[in-house]
Amino acid sequence: MNAWIIAIVTVIVAPFIGGFLAGIDRRITARLQGRFGPPILQPFYDFFKLLGKSKIAASRLQLMWIYAYLVLMITALLFLVLRLDILLMMFILGFAGVCFALGGFSSRSPYSHLGANRELMQMLAYEPVLLFLALGVYAQNGSFLISQIYASPTPLISRLWPIFIALLVILTIKLRKSPFDLSTSHHAHQELVKGIMTEYSGPYYALIELTEWYEIVLVLGIVSLFVANPLWVGIIIALAAYALELFIDNITARMTVGWMVRFVWSVGVTLCILNLIWFWVFAAFKGVS
Amino acid sequence: MLPYNWMMAVAILLPVVAAILVYVIRQYHVRGVIVILAAIALIVNSVLFLLHGKDTFTPANSYWDTIVTVLDYLILLFYIYVGISLKNWLVLIFALTQIIPLAWLEFVMKVNGASGNAALATVNPTFVVDHLAIVMTLVISIVGSLICVFAIRYMYDHEHHQHLEKSRQSRFLFWMVLFLGAMNGLVFANNLIYLYFFWELTTLICFQLIAHDLTKEAIGNAARALWMNSIGGTALIIAMIILFAKDVPMSLNGILSGGVASAVLLLPVALMCFTAMIKAAQLPFQSWLLGAMVAPTPVSALLHSSTMVKAGVYLVLRLAPAFAGTRLSVMIALVGAFTFMAASGLAISQTTGKRVLAYSTIANLGLIIACAGINTPLAITAAILLIIFHAVSKGLMFLCAGTIEHVIWSREIEDMEGLAAKAPMITTITAIGMLSMFLPPFGMLLGKWMALESASVIPLAAWLFVIASAAGIVFWAKWLGRLLQVLPKLGSKIESLSLSYTVPLWLLVLGIFGVGIGVAAVYTGLVQNAVADVISSGQALAVQGWGLTVNGVSAVSSTANFAVGNYPVWPLFIVFAIAVLIPFIFVAIKPGELRPVYMCGEQAGGTDTDEWYSTADVKTKVQLGGYYFQGVLGEAALNPWTYTLSIVLMVIMFAVALLAIGGAL
Repeated sequence: MNAWIIAIVTVIVAPFIGGFLAGIDRRITARLQGRFGPPILQPFYDFFKLLGKSKIAASRLQLMWIYAYLVLMITALLFLVLRLDILLMMFILGFAGVCFALGGFSSRSPYSHLGANRELMQMLAYEPVLLFLALGVYAQNGSFLISQIYASPTPLISRLWPIFIALLVILTIKLRKSPFDLSTSHHAHQELVKGIMTEYSGPYYALIELTEWYEIVLVLGIVSLFVANPLWVGIIIALAAYALELFIDNITARMTVGWMVRFVWSVGVTLCILNLIWFWVFAAFKGVS
Repeated sequence: MLPYNWMMAVAILLPVVAAILVYVIRQYHVRGVIVILAAIALIVNSVLFLLHGKDTFTPANSYWDTIVTVLDYLILLFYIYVGISLKNWLVLIFALTQIIPLAWLEFVMKVNGASGNAALATVNPTFVVDHLAIVMTLVISIVGSLICVFAIRYMYDHEHHQHLEKSRQSRFLFWMVLFLGAMNGLVFANNLIYLYFFWELTTLICFQLIAHDLTKEAIGNAARALWMNSIGGTALIIAMIILFAKDVPMSLNGILSGGVASAVLLLPVALMCFTAMIKAAQLPFQSWLLGAMVAPTPVSALLHSSTMVKAGVYLVLRLAPAFAGTRLSVMIALVGAFTFMAASGLAISQTTGKRVLAYSTIANLGLIIACAGINTPLAITAAILLIIFHAVSKGLMFLCAGTIEHVIWSREIEDMEGLAAKAPMITTITAIGMLSMFLPPFGMLLGKWMALESASVIPLAAWLFVIASAAGIVFWAKWLGRLLQVLPKLGSKIESLSLSYTVPLWLLVLGIFGVGIGVAAVYTGLVQNAVADVISSGQALAVQGWGLTVNGVSAVSSTANFAVGNYPVWPLFIVFAIAVLIPFIFVAIKPGELRPVYMCGEQAGGTDTDEWYSTADVKTKVQLGGYYFQGVLGEAALNPWTYTLSIVLMVIMFAVALLAIGGAL
């Protein structure tokens, strides 16, 4: 019964946290750019305004995939809060990403098509790091269950800090921040319009906003796993990581897709593999002595 | 219930009889009925095997041994004939490298062998039908039979499109139906001479079916498949000669329970795994399977995805106890994992649907072989589950590719753009098939998840799995995305297809959901026993509530039964229903709500057009295209690396086997 309550509370509370963080993001970004910025609650005002707009769409299929995107994102978040299998959570998060890309493909729109292709490239870049993160959790705890991360006295960050750095790199992709703001484009309206989201409007666009709020909570939750005991330290680290992403967003220029894949695969994947090699050597050494 | 010798006869000999009948009877409808009846008989028979359980069988008459030997030489003589008539010297050379050692083994070594040699004694039993073999025969009989039913109408349309003077459908169905018997024989065989015979028979049928259309390309690719698999056949004969010389009984049981020091057996075992890897098209031998895609699609579905190539992974799994705990096991895992990664990467650059499927097949076979090499109870469980799931999903995918080909008469992914509007039913089935290949909650992902959770003993294999997984998402999603690109309109008409197409397609869709939702039952009722046939130590997977739990030993606490992972099967299917199926059925949109896509206000018309005003107001059609990255991930760019690395891996594989023998001496 307890699990049901946690699940229901998460589903209700997470969007408020996500929307609030998005509001802070907009405010801080505005200040960094010398603007005053909207009220903190502006994302919520936008959300309800979008719900009231008329329903229009370019195909039925694109709507279907956007529901799937939302449901699967919530499922991945539930895996986190119910402390289930982290590897499977990554696969579900991958499914959510695939649905979003398929939604972008589901019309003959050049902008959304380009955005969807780029979304897949982003997945190609971040998916290995997420899976390596799961392997790292196993290497340290001997289990893929998130409940074991909370049960373990040693925080993940003490031995998985290279993977943590790789996670910070892909956090930029997941939060759709510059220099990897490639598929949806907050900044590149001239070439991309709104990329993969171009063909969504009104209530359907509100659904995407909602999903993104869940996603913010989910990815920051993954960051917080690195110091799971005590949890408040993990949450502070996650919020610090979010603040770091805001600064990176504002001080970097948007790069190309190819550069992103090369950068993440060379820096991120290498860090992950070095980290796992260290575990392997360490285990072999312990076995000998 | 049928007596056991009748069940064996139905499994192996009934397809032979049915094949001859379809060859002789040239009427479309009668021939179709025979195929359907044979299919039903085989399916029922395979279920009888499941109910009967583990057993052995030896033919009462010894003349079967003679028949098998004679047929062996006939097949090899035919290869020599093919080599000479096509002037393909590779075919000829590798036919000779089979026939000469085989003759030497049977007519020189056996005659001169010392009495009391265990290898000379009659092998008993000839066939061992254990649970692993039952899993295989279920896959062959059920998925294989459905594909044969599909082929009835498919070949009719195929020839109609080719405008053939004289129908060759009888010949096609002859080989297809005969193949089911050969494959059953292969997985039942314990006697190595029988195993070799059925192995060669599948190679022969593969050659005949690839060459079926008799184009220059088809014959060339068939010859390549023949000589590559003949290398495998040669390795199998050399393995038999070594076994004979070492005085080991010439049977799979003999190898697995042999009283000889196992290090001595490592070389023949490595040779047999090498044979199996060629059959499973592992790198660097992938080119025969890619070439085989010229064959009509039912061939690709039956031989090159769901059954024949599975003979390769079956043999590696069968031999897994013989190399457990050795460095050979690690090398087999690495060959498989490397193939999984390289083939997944290469699939991204492919523009032809069937070639993507071929690369994906090679990749998944690599994953299964890697699991056999990892060789823990969990990995073996993953391997056997993957055999089942892959056969159903990939069989369906190939049948979809064939159906799409007969709707648009093209195999190119770019030509499939917007298929969702032209043919909504086949697009829906294809989408289910694709999703089932790489996403939760379906079985293939469950298998991959288990493989990753078991791979910690060989970390390098796990890292290759990770990279392959990421590549897999890209090539499946971008293909599926091409099918969905439609103009804004409502109510596309559902296409009408022959029942011979739709019945196997929908049954396989049902199968995907059946084995996926019922995976716990499949595991406890079938796979668990098959795993025990291969590896006896410990239970890796437990059914718990609505899901599966992986057990292991914790690094943190010392509790004995400690959960390593958890896969909530049914909750995930419920999520899938809520996320995908319910929106697919219920999401509605009114005609007035449709809008043309955004083109900066330059549309040349309403929702029914995808033209826009280009420079000087010229109407221009929107052209969309997928990403293929042929410069970075194309065969030309990657193959020098993949060939070099895979050959190095194969050489190391043999080196560790030889070193182990050196160490034992």
